[in-house]
Amino acid sequence: MIKEISKKVGGLRNLVFISALAALVIVLIMDIYTVDSILEPLEYFYILFAILIIRYGLYPLYANRRLTRYYWERTKRHRLSVLGLAFIIFLIATAIFGPFFTQDPTKVNFQEKNMPPVGFTIQQSVYNLETEQFVTREIQGTSRHPLGTDDKGRDMLAMLVSGARISLQVGLLATVIAIIIGTFMGVVSAYLGGWADNALMRFTDIMMTFPFFLLLVFIIFIFGPSLAFIILAIGLTGWTGTARLVRSEALSLRTREFVMASKCLGVSDIRIISRHLIPNVISSVIVIATLSIPSVILAEAALSFIGLGDPTVTSWGMVLHSGQRSLDTAWWVAVEPGIMLFLTVLAFNFLGDGIRDAFDPRSQL
Amino acid sequence: MRQGGLQWYIVRRLIYAVIIAFGVVTITFILLRLGPSSPADKYLANMSARTQDPAQVITAIEARYGLDKPIYQQYADYLINLARGDWGWSFSTSMPVMELIKKHWVYSFQLIFLSMVFSAVLGILIGVYSAIKQYTKTDYLATFFSFIGISIPNFWLGIMLILIFSVQLGWFKTYYDTGLPMFSLANLKALVLPVITLGTGMMAGYTRYARSATLENLRKDFVKTARAKGLPEWTVIGKHVFRNAILPIITIIMFDLSGVVFGGAYLTEIIFGIPGLGRISFNAIFANDYPLVVTITLIGAIVVLLTNLATDIVYTWLDPRIRYD
Repeated sequence: MIKEISKKVGGLRNLVFISALAALVIVLIMDIYTVDSILEPLEYFYILFAILIIRYGLYPLYANRRLTRYYWERTKRHRLSVLGLAFIIFLIATAIFGPFFTQDPTKVNFQEKNMPPVGFTIQQSVYNLETEQFVTREIQGTSRHPLGTDDKGRDMLAMLVSGARISLQVGLLATVIAIIIGTFMGVVSAYLGGWADNALMRFTDIMMTFPFFLLLVFIIFIFGPSLAFIILAIGLTGWTGTARLVRSEALSLRTREFVMASKCLGVSDIRIISRHLIPNVISSVIVIATLSIPSVILAEAALSFIGLGDPTVTSWGMVLHSGQRSLDTAWWVAVEPGIMLFLTVLAFNFLGDGIRDAFDPRSQL
Repeated sequence: MRQGGLQWYIVRRLIYAVIIAFGVVTITFILLRLGPSSPADKYLANMSARTQDPAQVITAIEARYGLDKPIYQQYADYLINLARGDWGWSFSTSMPVMELIKKHWVYSFQLIFLSMVFSAVLGILIGVYSAIKQYTKTDYLATFFSFIGISIPNFWLGIMLILIFSVQLGWFKTYYDTGLPMFSLANLKALVLPVITLGTGMMAGYTRYARSATLENLRKDFVKTARAKGLPEWTVIGKHVFRNAILPIITIIMFDLSGVVFGGAYLTEIIFGIPGLGRISFNAIFANDYPLVVTITLIGAIVVLLTNLATDIVYTWLDPRIRYD
C-alpha cells in the first residue's frame, strides 16, 4: 500500500516530505479552529524551515556523498570561507544553547548599570545620597558580567546571545521565504513565457522600483512591528533579485534537449518544473541565498535600531540603539553588538564567496 | 545606428516608466488599505487627547478624507490627487506634505550626492589601480579592505565614527548643524562623517566591481593590440581599458540607488540628525503621520524610476554598440 503511493509521488522520500507538510497544514487548520493555539506563528516557520532544509539541503547532501565531498573540497580551498562557516556554526550553537547558560537579557538592575567589560576600568560619577554630591567612582568589570552591562544594568552577554538568536531567525527564515517566492516566480515565468512571463516580470520591476528599506519601513509602519511580521515583510519584499536570476537561468534550460524530450513524452508542466527546472537552478539559488542572508540580517538590525523592531525581543539592533544614547558613558554597549553584526555579515559573505566559487565550474581556485 | 530605432526606444521606455509608476502607486494604495488600521484610526491616535466623542470624530475624518466612499472611488481620487500634485496634509507638522518635502529634500540630496561622488571616484580609482597591480600587496590590501567595507553595517560605522571622532577626539560635532549655509566649508565639514558613513559600503562595492571589470578588459585582444602598437601604458589603460570597464559600473551605481543608498541615507540621517527626507519620515512614523510616510516612500520609488530611465537613455549615448530596434 505504502509502496504504491510512494511510487506515485516519486519515491519514499517524497512521500515522507509531503506527509510532513500535510501534517503541518492539518495542525495549522486545527489551530485556526481551536481556541488555544497549539503552536506560535513563528514555530510554524521553524518547522517548515526544518522540513525544507532536510528535504532540499541535508538529504541530497547525504544521498550524493561523493558530490558533497567534491563541493566540500572546492569550498575548503577558500580558507576564509571555512573560517566563515566555523563562525556561523558557532553562532548557531550559541543561538540554540546559549540562552540556557546566560542570565535573563531583560532583567533590569540599576545597581549594576554601565559596568565595563572584564579588564576595563572606567570613571563614573555617582550621586551620593548622604553628602548630596556627585562623586567620581572607579568601576571595574567583573566576571559576573563578562561583557559589561548597559544603562539599565542588563547583562550584555545575555543580550548578545539573545540577539544572535533573533538575527539568525530573521536571516534564515526571511531568506527562505524570499528564495521560495523568487524561485517560483522565476521558473514559472520562464517556463510559461508569453503574457504570464510579461505580467510576472512587470510585477517584479514594480517591486524593484521601491527602495528596499523604504518599502520595509512603510510595511512595518502600516502593519505594526512583530518579529513574525518583520520576517514575512522582508521575505515578501526581498525576492526580486532571485526571481530575475532564476528566470534567466530557466530560460536557457527551457530550450535544452532533456526538457524538449520530456515535453514530447507528454510529461506535465508541473512535473517538468519540479523535476527538471528547479533542481537545475538550485545551485545558483543556494549561492544567492547565502549572499543575501547578510543584507536580511542587516535590514532587521536597522529596523530595530531605529525603533521599528519587535519591542518584545532583544536584538542586536535594539542594543545598538540604546548604545547610541550612552556613547559618552558606556562605549561598549554600542561597540559589542556592532562587532557581532559585523562578524556575522563578514562570515556569511566569506561563505557565500566560497560556495559561489565551488559551484561555478568555470572558476579556477 | 538607425535614428528612428533609437527614438522609438526612448518613447517605449517613457511609456513603460509611466506604467511602472502607475503600478507603484497602486501597490502603495493596496498596502494602505490592507493595513489593520485605517488612516482615520491613525489620525485619531494622533489627536486622541482632544477627542470627546470618538465615533463622531471618525465619521468626520472619514468624510474629510473620502474614506466613506466606495473603494474604487477612493482609488480614483487618490490617483487624481497625486496627478494634480495634491499629496496630502501632514498631520504632525500641519502643513502640506509637498511644502515639507520642498523644505527638506536638499539635505538628503547633498548627503546622497556627496556620498556617491566620494564613493564612486575613490572606489573606481582604487579598483582600477588594484587591477593593474594584480597579485601585489596593494591589490591584496585593497581586496581585504573592500571585504571589510562591504560587511560593515553602515549605521554601526556611523556610531563608531561619532564615538571616536566626536566623543573621544572632539573633532566633529555629534549632531549635524542645520544653521550652516549650504555652500560653506563648515557645512562640508559637518558632512564629513555622514558621507563616510554612507559612502564606505558603496565605495567597497565599486572597488570590487571596478577591479573585476578592469581585469576582464585587460585580457581583451584590443588591449594587446594597443600595447603592440606601442601606445604608452597610460593611454592603453585610460582609453581602452577604463572606458570599457566604466559602463557596467555606471549601471551598478544607478542600481545601488534603489537598494543601498536610500536605506543607508535614511539611517545616516537618523544617526547624525540631518533633517532630510529620511529623518522627517522617521519622525512621521512615530507621530502616526501617514500621508508623509506614504509620500516619502513614493518619492523614493519615483527617484529610482527616473534614474533607471535616465540610465537607459544615457546608455544609448555611452555605448554605441547597443542596437535599439
